[in-house]
Amino acid sequence: MSESTASANAASRSGPGRVLVALYALFALAATARAGVQIATRFQEAPLAYLLSLVAGIIYIIATVGIARSGRTSHRVAMVSCAIELCGVLAVGTLSLLDPAAFPDDTVWSRFGSGYLFIPLVLPVLGMLWLRHVEKGRTAEKAQAA
Amino acid sequence: MVEGLTSTIQLVSLAMAVWCMVSAFRDRPMVVPHLVGMGVLWLLTIAQAVVSTVVWAGGDPPAEPATLVGYLATVVLLPPACAVWGFMERSRWGPAVISVACFILPVLMVRLDQIWNPPVV
Repeated sequence: MSESTASANAASRSGPGRVLVALYALFALAATARAGVQIATRFQEAPLAYLLSLVAGIIYIIATVGIARSGRTSHRVAMVSCAIELCGVLAVGTLSLLDPAAFPDDTVWSRFGSGYLFIPLVLPVLGMLWLRHVEKGRTAEKAQAA
Repeated sequence: MVEGLTSTIQLVSLAMAVWCMVSAFRDRPMVVPHLVGMGVLWLLTIAQAVVSTVVWAGGDPPAEPATLVGYLATVVLLPPACAVWGFMERSRWGPAVISVACFILPVLMVRLDQIWNPPVV
């Protein structure tokens, strides 16, 4: 059992990480596809909102891949994307409430992601907690081996 | 949209979500009955796609065609994708993946319905 726990720590996509990667993949798809449709069909209406959606989608894709891969560099990249996501959802969420006119159409991050069950707000926090947990497991493993 | 089919998918999906959540809490991995349940859900979503296509072709086009196709594709792909992803994980977190996905599917169905018949404000 202890062996399987150790190897579970090594791969961030196993255990709870699997739920996280699944959620991230869905959001990557949702944000990118939505932005794609909006940019293709009515870019002039709200260029800022649509470009933001696209950026959000790309960051979600990077985070998904970063968490799913097991390398340390991938996790650093994922950690940075999660941090950008959190800043993005907080900034856009606040702006969309203060100045609704700047966001005539919704993005995934508008009103702190209320149109998406607030998952965009929770996801980066969970992502960072999980990555930190994996990193801790790796450090403990290394200490044990030494 | 066919009312009965949409609500059937939502009910089956929620039932799967609760069942898998119980399995996850009881520390059980995914078993074949879970997969059968997901298979049924998948067939229902495929039926939804077929029905939507028929209604569309019959002269009742959706308000936002591209978005609708995107949502339909996601709805159809979600059950097999999460089933495979969950089955690969031989621990309680396998059913947990399915449970999360099955809670999201009813929400997607609501959005699908809204895209087809935009609420008149």
